[in-house]
Amino acid sequence: MLRPRRTLPTPLLLGVAAGCLLPACAPDAVDVQGGAVGELYTTFLLVAAGVFATVVGLLAWSVIRYRDRPGREEPRQHHGNVKLEAVWFVIPQALVVGLFLLSLSTLEEVDRAPAAADLGVRVQGFQWGWRFSYDGTGVEVTGTPERPPVLVLPVGRNVTFELISNDVIHSFYVPRFLVKRDTIPGKVNELRVTVEEPGTYRGACAEFCGLLHARMDFTVRAVEPDRFETWLDEQEVS
Amino acid sequence: MATADTLAPTTRRPNSRIVEWATTTDHKKIGVLYLVSSVAFFFVAGAMALLMRAELAVSGQQVLDDSTYNQLFTMHGTVMMFFFVVPFAIGLANYFVPLHIGAADVVFPRLNALTYWLYVLGAATVFAGFLTSDGAAAFGWTAYPPLSRETYSPGLGGDLWIVGLASSGIGTTLGAVNLIATIFGMRAPGMTMFRMPIFCWNILVTSALLLFAFPVLTAALAALFVDRNFGGHFFAPGSGGSAILWQHLFWFLGHPEVYIAILPFFGVVTEIIPVFSGKPLFGYRGFVLATLLIGSYSFSVWAHHMFTTGAVSNPFFAATSMLIAVPTGIKFFNWIGTMWGGRLRFRTPMLFCMGFMLMFLIGGITGIFLASPPIDFAAHDTYYVVGHMHYVLFGGSVFAVFASIYYWFPKLSGRMMSEGLGKVHFWLMLAGMNLTFFPMHQLGLRGMQRRIPDYAPSTGFGDLNLLSTIGSGVLALSLLVFAANMWRSLRRGAPAGDDPWKGYTLEWATGSPPPPHNFHRLPPVRSERPVFDERVRAAAPRESSDG
Repeated sequence: MLRPRRTLPTPLLLGVAAGCLLPACAPDAVDVQGGAVGELYTTFLLVAAGVFATVVGLLAWSVIRYRDRPGREEPRQHHGNVKLEAVWFVIPQALVVGLFLLSLSTLEEVDRAPAAADLGVRVQGFQWGWRFSYDGTGVEVTGTPERPPVLVLPVGRNVTFELISNDVIHSFYVPRFLVKRDTIPGKVNELRVTVEEPGTYRGACAEFCGLLHARMDFTVRAVEPDRFETWLDEQEVS
Repeated sequence: MATADTLAPTTRRPNSRIVEWATTTDHKKIGVLYLVSSVAFFFVAGAMALLMRAELAVSGQQVLDDSTYNQLFTMHGTVMMFFFVVPFAIGLANYFVPLHIGAADVVFPRLNALTYWLYVLGAATVFAGFLTSDGAAAFGWTAYPPLSRETYSPGLGGDLWIVGLASSGIGTTLGAVNLIATIFGMRAPGMTMFRMPIFCWNILVTSALLLFAFPVLTAALAALFVDRNFGGHFFAPGSGGSAILWQHLFWFLGHPEVYIAILPFFGVVTEIIPVFSGKPLFGYRGFVLATLLIGSYSFSVWAHHMFTTGAVSNPFFAATSMLIAVPTGIKFFNWIGTMWGGRLRFRTPMLFCMGFMLMFLIGGITGIFLASPPIDFAAHDTYYVVGHMHYVLFGGSVFAVFASIYYWFPKLSGRMMSEGLGKVHFWLMLAGMNLTFFPMHQLGLRGMQRRIPDYAPSTGFGDLNLLSTIGSGVLALSLLVFAANMWRSLRRGAPAGDDPWKGYTLEWATGSPPPPHNFHRLPPVRSERPVFDERVRAAAPRESSDG
């Protein structure tokens, strides 16, 4: 019963669908942990797109099909259908259980302790700046809004950040890491990051911490391990 | 909206109108007071948002200094959450719960007046911060200590914020008691629990949430006040206190608060959609069950605001936060099932319900993202969260606020609002809302953190921020159209009659506006749609209407 006609090729349709999702996509992570988060995000996005399309499709169909037009007869006074309701209770329930299990496994991946922490960096957030101290060395980098600090990290190494604060709550946030954690007075937090891509990345404070919260910027410079060692030695000398 | 008593003899003193409104214990007048005050606060807090959007339009600081910006976002959040959304819902509940259940008033009319005045007093106290030398509170509406302690926020504005919130919070708690007692004790003969309008069910659950959640906030505020003024150490980590404790207490209120801010509006759209579909609600009991589930789950999700603190069990709160999405999702199917096979009339209230469903759907879906701890590690405290929350609270609650205004304005005033202006308002608001808030998700993913008055040009946040600011202008325009509609309709709106929409529930069985004692006669209540039943009976041949 289908008239022969040119149909849109499936890849094109998929391309258009992907294009619609583009404004909702997360940027690529530059670290291992963030990579896992990014994958999880993409999975969520695809499920979300399916749910959104289904609900909007049903809505659009009812709006078009059942809108009031001259000659439409009085609708049947239908009060419900328990079977149908049971079905639409079970489907979302199954969906969220699935998403929850996926989240658990990613969470485990993000928080998992590496076999050996190659480098420890103590990060102190303060009003309004950051202090980065490299474990086992005397190297300490401090910065303020006028002179934002640079956090130099080796790529491919497991870095454990020990996050502390002595004044108010801040949050250690490098957007391209796709993970962040708060620095909380009276508590020591940990965040594990293994940077994969060398480069320069923006860092900021994510938890509102008072007047100059917006200016607590820092920069992450991820370099090859040998260049990192050289940099560390230079710092220790000076 | 003083047309309620235009029919009364006008032989009293000129200021008697003011005295009458200030001393009234009539649930309808108190309802109107709530509605008018909260909409006024909506406009004030909206103006604050416009100032912030103006500042963020381009990189660099052109409009506001840091301190003013911090005060504005603090007050914007506080006013919208505590002095607009919730009081607006309480206003609707005040006006319509007694009408819906066929009662003449609430159980405790004088307590009712007290709750309203505590609310106004509380709001005035919080606003008084702007008059102090250090300005209003500037620690965010979440007021996390230690930032909110006297060391880091020494100004009087913080104390006024605490006292004001406590005052209005106590009012809200008392109001909840009153509404619960009214629903349980004042229902007309025949009005069983399962014949109550869904709006009343949702108000009942909301009131229970208020009753359990607000005392916790009041206690936390008292502790913070002691910390700030009497050398207390509740939230001082250096002296045996805990910075995290506040977050637990605050979000134990704060997340039920989100449901407090949305459940009444689920109720509103669930009244409107069936009427404009010409059908009863699809799955009434399932819907009530879903509301009860949301209410009970809502007390177990609070720490999903704290995933990045490293101080809570992330898997537990992820599980509960995702579970709560299920009963919320079910409601969409109830609404669609109601529309399915109906005869849909797209008058302005129904249009706003459609907008509500679309926008809240997006907010609900992004909520699932944020309930997943790893995704929250990326998105927490960024504009992604700001976008999400505005799809829920603006796309959800505010669209339903306007649906309720267009739907019930004829009942309150006796006049219809303009359909034409209403439709212009709707389409402008839908466009403005998406322009303003959709880009925020992408901004957040790219790393724009919340609560900043400025960003460097190198961040590349400029284009999307400009788009968002343009959107906020469209939103403002849509609200001007609404205000014009209101102004015009109060004066020259067409007479509404008792039942302009072919309604189902008891408020349509009395005058517009209703007489002081609400009903001259009540139709028999034999289903959840007594007014519909009566219409059917009246239309049926005489012999079958034996009643």
